[in-house]
Amino acid sequence: MSQPQTLIRIAHVSKRYQEGDRERVVLADVEAAFGAGEHIAIVGRSGSGKSTLLNLLAGLDLPSAGEIWIGGDCISRFSDRARTLFRRDHIGFIFQFFNLISTLTVRENVVLTAELSGWKPPAARAQTDRLLDAVGLLDRAQTFPDKLSGGEQQRVAIARALCADPPLILADEPTGNLDADTGAQVMGLLTALARERGKTLIVVTHSSEVSALADRIFRLDHGRLLEVAHRHPA
Amino acid sequence: MRDALRRPWLTGLLVVSVALGVAVVVAIDMANESASRAFALSTEAVVGKATHQIRGGPNGLDETVYRDLRVIDGYRASAPVVEGYGIAVELGRQTVHVIGVDPFAEAPFRTYFNSTTSAPLDALTGFFTQPGAVLMSADSAARFGVKVGDALTLDVGSQRRQAVVVGFLQSPNEVSGRALEGLWLTDIATAQEFFAMAGRLSRIDLIATASAAEAIAARLPPNLTLAPASEQSNTVAQITAAFQLNLTAFSLLALLVGTFLIYNTVTFSVVQRRQVFGIMRSLGVTGAQIFGLVLMESALLGALGAALGLGLGVLLGRTTVQLVTQTINDLYFNVTVNSIDVTWLTVIKGIALGIGAALLAAVAPAAEATTAPAVATLQRSSLEERVRQLVPRLALAGVLLVAGGAALIAFIQTSVVASFAGLFIGLIGVVLWVPAITVGLMRLAAVGLGRAGLTGRMAARTVTGALSRTAVAIAALMVAVSVTIGVTVMIASFRTTVGHWLDQTLLADIYISPPQATANRSVTMEPALAERIRAVPGVAEVEVYRNVVVDAPALGAVRVSAVTVAHARDAGLYRYAAGTPGETWQAVEGGAVVVTEPFANHHHLPPSGGAVTLLTDQGPHTFPVAAISYDYSSDQGIVLMSLNVYRRYWNDPEISSVAAFVSAGANREMVEDAVRAALAGSVVVVRGNKALRDAALVVFDRTFAITAALRWVAVIVAFIGVVSATMALQLERTRELGVLSAAGMTLAQLWRLTLLETGLMGATAGLLSMPTGLALAAVLIYVINLRSFGWTIFFAPAPEVYLEALALSVAAALLAAVYPMRRLMHASRETTAALRSE
Repeated sequence: MSQPQTLIRIAHVSKRYQEGDRERVVLADVEAAFGAGEHIAIVGRSGSGKSTLLNLLAGLDLPSAGEIWIGGDCISRFSDRARTLFRRDHIGFIFQFFNLISTLTVRENVVLTAELSGWKPPAARAQTDRLLDAVGLLDRAQTFPDKLSGGEQQRVAIARALCADPPLILADEPTGNLDADTGAQVMGLLTALARERGKTLIVVTHSSEVSALADRIFRLDHGRLLEVAHRHPA
Repeated sequence: MRDALRRPWLTGLLVVSVALGVAVVVAIDMANESASRAFALSTEAVVGKATHQIRGGPNGLDETVYRDLRVIDGYRASAPVVEGYGIAVELGRQTVHVIGVDPFAEAPFRTYFNSTTSAPLDALTGFFTQPGAVLMSADSAARFGVKVGDALTLDVGSQRRQAVVVGFLQSPNEVSGRALEGLWLTDIATAQEFFAMAGRLSRIDLIATASAAEAIAARLPPNLTLAPASEQSNTVAQITAAFQLNLTAFSLLALLVGTFLIYNTVTFSVVQRRQVFGIMRSLGVTGAQIFGLVLMESALLGALGAALGLGLGVLLGRTTVQLVTQTINDLYFNVTVNSIDVTWLTVIKGIALGIGAALLAAVAPAAEATTAPAVATLQRSSLEERVRQLVPRLALAGVLLVAGGAALIAFIQTSVVASFAGLFIGLIGVVLWVPAITVGLMRLAAVGLGRAGLTGRMAARTVTGALSRTAVAIAALMVAVSVTIGVTVMIASFRTTVGHWLDQTLLADIYISPPQATANRSVTMEPALAERIRAVPGVAEVEVYRNVVVDAPALGAVRVSAVTVAHARDAGLYRYAAGTPGETWQAVEGGAVVVTEPFANHHHLPPSGGAVTLLTDQGPHTFPVAAISYDYSSDQGIVLMSLNVYRRYWNDPEISSVAAFVSAGANREMVEDAVRAALAGSVVVVRGNKALRDAALVVFDRTFAITAALRWVAVIVAFIGVVSATMALQLERTRELGVLSAAGMTLAQLWRLTLLETGLMGATAGLLSMPTGLALAAVLIYVINLRSFGWTIFFAPAPEVYLEALALSVAAALLAAVYPMRRLMHASRETTAALRSE
């Protein structure tokens, strides 16, 4: 079995925050590489810097030192606008609190990312409906988010993350706000869809059930990222 | 309060909006109070302790009446008065009220010659011995650097008189000092000389019991009246009541707009703290306690705003006092205000209005706060859902309020207060339609903008989705802009009407009159001047006018304008007339009168067949009314009659002004110069038709300066409202904007989305304000003005106003988006953090 081609390279990344007159180091010289199509779980205690790392990977924030490469692009050197445009085409994001736009219908929430990526409306609409069908919510396409349960909202968020067909999906505690059964269902769906479409999936989680679905598990501890488990493909 | 301090911008805006509203109310109140009080003080100074007054016609009464009263009837509690107005040339052409008295009869009436408000003894010697001797207030003298022995020029009508200051009236305190402002005291003989009233008196003051007064009245000749002294000041108060009420109502509008803002801010603060309230409930805090807490916070901020507003109001008051005094002097009577009254009543009113508005606006959000379920937080979407459910009920309540307001206006026709109340209620009714109309308009906008992409649809949806915020901001802006439209259209219509009326009235080419000492007072020029004008080469014809104030047994003081008419007036000048203008004038020459529209409205005269009874020198006489004419020179109204008829009933050979018609082919400017040369040495103003027309419009614009300023204050308050609402909205949406940013929306797109949202809000407010402003203008024109002043104003649509209003609304809304977006730009980290927190 050949190694997957590297999609993400984290090179000597550090992140420090100034807190009053003290400096707090959240990430210290983090080094990692994730392959295309790989499923990665990042675990760690609360406040260990998991979400910070995810924000850096998404280009929502910049490292204090080091570089982040996605594909052939060093996104940490990009301007804010270039990172936004890069994110639009290359990254799908799933949040713990779903973060659907309350004023848009389910279909509009999903189509948003495709439209932003410049998809033609008919193609965007077809893609949206395919994904809504895949997450089992096509019949709720015209519903507003506040009428959906937590699990349903997260399924819409999964469809939204996949809609523009980005190679990388980042999920920040995607089951953190759901009960165990619903969480397992949502995670199963996310993993299946990501694998089916060959997406790289990086999940930040506390849950051992969620991390168990990943190919590799990393632990963030005192600012260091350590690989703690590697599941060989069957 | 800790929560309020945590959001200094929103709290600051709330305080500023209360402060602005209160400041305007206080400033107007101060101006009204100061002018009224100054007038009351000067009236008191002039009337003194007199209980009754005997008055005659325009030329006063014969002094033998006084002699007979005192000598034959032995009525000692009486004092003769000769009074009039003149322009004190060296005192900055200030209008002065000259009162001639008999110091020996004065003691029981006025205090000028006693020890408290005293003139020194050496001054009194000069008072009796020196020709033209006058006493003036020590304060005025100090202000103008006048010394004892200084000669001052007094222009009375077209005549120039010389006065000599022989002493000063000292006042023991500031209040009585103010009463003496603009007052000159002289002896009877000097006053008779000043006002060309040899052998005549303006009035006789009496201190009499009701029965004694009745007995005296019974013995008076029929051309004299005996009336309570208080009648004069009451009439004056009534004259300005409508003007002052209108100003007060407009100032309250600014506060009304401010109230929306307070509602918005308090709601925002409550919604943001629902979780806190929920936790407090779970710890045992009752709903009533939370209700009280929110009200208390609002009241404290309201009090802070009111306190700031009071200070600002006093500063603003200095300008408004000048504007109000100027208008009162232009339109009603002479009043000198050199100091500003800040009464306790004004202070209490300002604070009560500020706190009251804050409490009123906080009731609904405070009630909302009590419904926070313990521990659990109500989702924002659920709140909006509830608001959406309320929309039809609000619209229905709006219909009821609009109907109620209209009914109030329609059925209580005599009260201007009821008309304003109806206007306010109706306006609040329209405000309740705002959510429903916004939902409808945004549906249309979503369809239209949706074609341009998701951003357009999103913008329209956001406006509807956050209706609890957006509707209030739209309503505040809509009210302010519709007030601007309403007032602008009203002023434009009024100005057009007055301009048109001036065109119809000012037919002559040249107008000659003494400098106007003050409105509502007779001015006199020498009758011989009319003949001198007629003799000027190039003058084809002259019209002579005599303007006087006469008593009418049932109506009080009435302005009479007696004219010789050289040219028939346009039929359009008459609101009601039985025949053609020629026939009407024939009737007038035959002894009928024409009354102006405000006169007919105030005294409820029928369109035809009415009559007016006036006290002539031959006793009361009833004049039939031949026509009712439009007139915008006096809101109290005028009785117009032929000069020949006037002189038949009044022994008054004087004239007030002359209008000259230039011969065909003559050069108007050259004739005007020739008239000026012919009148050299007389104190008169010679003005061409255009100059007089322009001067009239200058007075008009001055009259509406405050109203015009007030509408801008309302817009400023509304602008602050929209800024705060937009800020609240955007701050609440920080997380949503973070999601959009994470999904790949660039900052430019976020800007576009936000500007589109606020632009839609502004456009909605602008669109709604057009019909509302138009309706407001209609009510102001056809109801408020008619009932307040009795004028028919012809509607001038002023189309540019609507586009301006739309542009103003959209611009205000767009500008309001700038601060929150700038904040967002500088807070990308907060945005990112917001994605992770609920």
